[in-house]
Amino acid sequence: MRNDEPSVLKQLARLSTIGISLVAATAIGLLIGYGLDRWLGTSPWLTMIFTIFGIVAGFLNLFRELGLIQRNW
Amino acid sequence: MTTERPGVNEKGSGGKGIWALLAVLVLFNLTIGLLFAPRHVELHHAPIVQLPNFLAFLGVPGEYLPAHVTFTWLVMVILVVGGALGSRALQAVPGPLQNVAEVIIEAFHGLLDQMIGKQGRQFLPLVGTAGLFILTSNLLGNLPGFQAPTANWNTTVALALTVFVSYNYFGIRKHGLTNYLKHFCGPVWWLAPLMFPIEFIGHLARPVSLSVRLFGNIFGEESVIVILLSLAWLVMPYFIWLGVMLPLSLFTAVVQTFVFIMLTMVYIAGAVEEGHGEEHP
Repeated sequence: MRNDEPSVLKQLARLSTIGISLVAATAIGLLIGYGLDRWLGTSPWLTMIFTIFGIVAGFLNLFRELGLIQRNW
Repeated sequence: MTTERPGVNEKGSGGKGIWALLAVLVLFNLTIGLLFAPRHVELHHAPIVQLPNFLAFLGVPGEYLPAHVTFTWLVMVILVVGGALGSRALQAVPGPLQNVAEVIIEAFHGLLDQMIGKQGRQFLPLVGTAGLFILTSNLLGNLPGFQAPTANWNTTVALALTVFVSYNYFGIRKHGLTNYLKHFCGPVWWLAPLMFPIEFIGHLARPVSLSVRLFGNIFGEESVIVILLSLAWLVMPYFIWLGVMLPLSLFTAVVQTFVFIMLTMVYIAGAVEEGHGEEHP
């Protein structure tokens, strides 16, 4: 079932996972940081730190998912 | 000089014919459009299947039940009846319905074996149900008068939360709670305070991206079709719908189902994997 050249369907499936994974992780990080800041009153710091965490998490998720999908097809 | 071939001539005249046809079509459009332009266009016609709101005592608003709930139940009825017909009176030499059911199950088995490995087949109930439900409802949305339940964010959030809770449960069942949480902390102990929030955010982002992707694709495609068909008195949008949007939306339905179950299997594989967090060659 494994071909040398992946079909259009599989390539589209692979590519269409990219965008939203990045954005969702960044947004979640931003929201957590913002919530913690409002709760603890440490205004810009936690927002910044958790946004950076979110961006890193987005890239980590992206590499992991794409790697797993590519390895198994 | 090349000799003149009849094919060249025919091709040239065919090209002219296409332009003439287009011109006639545009003229036709304009006349029809000017003659029959409606005063107002109804964007939302009532869905075909409507149930009276018998849940009003629970606080559900409206005269009828929300369309996505009704159509979710319709998809459930289709799947249950199809499953019952396909698995009734199993025989060694399958009849047509049993044959279809076996082909579907074998396709899912193949995907599970490929993505998760030899322990993959125990996850067939989750992955197969999600895949069949999403595929059926995406395709149902293409029939006029029907709405895809997946074009509503509530449905896709429910699906994504189910996947989120169950892959974490599978991971905890397989490794135990402390071991599963240890995988969140990365390979080196002094990186743990950095890795834990990153992994935590990454896991929280998964249901969000799953649900938004499915909902956005189906809802966007449905909105484009609604707007296009609200201009159907111009005649041309009708052909655009038949020629471009309908094949495109059938394609989107299959691709989005594929992406959803693919990512579900990736998450389950990540949670259940033996040497979790280490890279295998």
